[in-house]
Amino acid sequence: MADLQIYESYQRLLQNEDLSTPLAAILALTEMMERSTAGTMFELLNELKGSAEALSRQSPNPIGLNAGCELFIEFITLFPHDAASFSELKTELIRQGQQYAKQALTYRAKIAELAFDFIKDDSVILTHSYSRVVLQTLLMAHKRKRISVFVTEARPRGMGIKTAEMLTAAGIPCSVVLDSAVAYVIEKVDFVLMGSEAVVESGGLVNAVGSNQIAIIAKAANKPFYALAESYKFHRMFPLSQYDLPSHNSRLLSFQTPSGNPRTPSGRRPSESSLAPNHTASIKITQEDIARNNPDIDYTRPDLISLVFSDVGSLTPEGVSQYLVGMFAG
Amino acid sequence: MASDPQSAANQRIVEDLVSRLRRRQVVGSRATALETLLVLRQVVSKARFSNIDQLVNVIRSVGRRLVEAQPKEHSVGNTVRKVLHHIREEYHTASEPPAIETSFSIAKFVLQGQPRRQTTIPRSETRVPLKENDPDDPDSFARVLKPVLMEAIQDVFDELETVYDNISKNAKDHIHSDEIILTLGMSTTVQSFLKAAAHYRNYTVIVAETAPSYGGREMAKSLSSAGISTFLVPDSSIYALMSRVNKVILGAHAILANGGMFATSGSLLAATAARSYSTPVVVCAGQFKLTPLWNLYHEYGALDFGDPSAVLGFEEGDLVDKVDVVNPYYDYVQPELLDVFITNYGDHPPSSIYRLLKETYDDEDNEL
Repeated sequence: MADLQIYESYQRLLQNEDLSTPLAAILALTEMMERSTAGTMFELLNELKGSAEALSRQSPNPIGLNAGCELFIEFITLFPHDAASFSELKTELIRQGQQYAKQALTYRAKIAELAFDFIKDDSVILTHSYSRVVLQTLLMAHKRKRISVFVTEARPRGMGIKTAEMLTAAGIPCSVVLDSAVAYVIEKVDFVLMGSEAVVESGGLVNAVGSNQIAIIAKAANKPFYALAESYKFHRMFPLSQYDLPSHNSRLLSFQTPSGNPRTPSGRRPSESSLAPNHTASIKITQEDIARNNPDIDYTRPDLISLVFSDVGSLTPEGVSQYLVGMFAG
Repeated sequence: MASDPQSAANQRIVEDLVSRLRRRQVVGSRATALETLLVLRQVVSKARFSNIDQLVNVIRSVGRRLVEAQPKEHSVGNTVRKVLHHIREEYHTASEPPAIETSFSIAKFVLQGQPRRQTTIPRSETRVPLKENDPDDPDSFARVLKPVLMEAIQDVFDELETVYDNISKNAKDHIHSDEIILTLGMSTTVQSFLKAAAHYRNYTVIVAETAPSYGGREMAKSLSSAGISTFLVPDSSIYALMSRVNKVILGAHAILANGGMFATSGSLLAATAARSYSTPVVVCAGQFKLTPLWNLYHEYGALDFGDPSAVLGFEEGDLVDKVDVVNPYYDYVQPELLDVFITNYGDHPPSSIYRLLKETYDDEDNEL
């Protein structure tokens, strides 16, 4: 019941165009605290952890909200206080959470300001999918410099088209690129600007699927690859490969047998009849099937990233871990 | 304010350095740092101010003039930033009653990490109360603070004086017996580093002559007179010799925020050659060369050009009209090509330079 309620409030908060998943998660947790009847810090923390887990379980792509929950819970655990009563402390913590969410909305402007210096006049920028911070940076750069932008389509969700529409509406020369045409276009590009779902402890990047291949192509072509990430997206996680991401499961990218069912270990070899030419015609693969069978996000290694722009400064990928260690260790 | 005789005197010494910087009469990162510091000391000692912001503004405006006079001598700006950082620090220790951290917020948590247990040291000394903007006695603030500030500036001075010794302190840990070291150009830092190592180790140095300044010839002369076995080679043979070299040691003109550096032209050639043989590249540089700037647009050059006649003299009259001659002072060497910076504040990989910068300067001064 309570689990459902927190997911509902999280979904409702996400309706706000400006709120990203970590902030929505923090606000959902503060709402939960308002409802909570916990009488001690221990109880409250247990409830918070339970809610965070419930949120994470119900969301199809929990990585951003995990980063937010983790930050907020760690903050509450370490909050130095001399409040006389527990209820007083609780209201203070709620206030802190809400205040942070409000303050954090200014971070995108700060990042845009930092990244602006790296955009030279007349540059051609490649970006991927849809990211509010990238969009804001590009819009700001457009006011003072001439830029043109390639946006990848970003299948399966096609969010790149949204970016392209918004950029075109703002008068920025813009062209949508197929995900498979990145290597074709990279030579015309001066640098890559990438948003993020999370930046992990290695300095690597978790973002909409396709980011990794763009980073690899950019590296091969010797083009800078800049990631933009608000500091609440720093996530204490150390994935070693794509398959360490929490969104990965065994259903993703499983092989389909001709009968349409995923192949089981005991599966028989295809019989003669299934290879008959008339059979191939009856198999239809829809876009939905492909989307269901594919990942939403991928992981980009830190050595492919030139710099991470965040509200705490322009960092080398290694620099991110310093902040995470400061918060979660020691 | 111009009628004020004191600020007129300040004006004069600032203008003096500005014109010398512009004419390139003072060159080299340490020389310019020292000159800047001398001017700043004058300015602070003569300045009239009744609160910290006034003082900071005075220093900033002087700093801005000096930096604009010669934007390619990065250590000028660095010295100004460093002095500002020290002044703020002194001001905070002198003025604030040890602030008890009550305002802890998530933003602060992200920025500074876990809250530390407050260890408030009870101050035994009774200090003269520091009063800002005292209407009765506007100079009282300056009178109390000035001695502390002069001391702080003196500290920066001392650091500059001892910078070579401090860098060479651990030279023997970096250079081993029978190694072959390659270096180029005339860098006093590298020279003292190599000479310090020579007290303990027997090794060979190959010096590229570094045309067209031929600083390498000077370097080779100085090293061999210190008893180090030295070879002077033309620049064109750097790649050919690299397979036999154990280590490349370079000096820097400025270290940039991303861990790259500006260094004598030719450095990029040596660093690239070293990369293809996986030879370690070591950079010796004082902390005053740390620059909170990025090499934004021009990939390989520092866009600082010297006298073209060193490359193609006017005696070649016929040719001079027909070709463009460029003589860049510095190369930009990317952080990926460097392995370690040896500074007077310890040894650092290029990837942690940003942290050193954060500790050395205040963020608000990055743009003077």
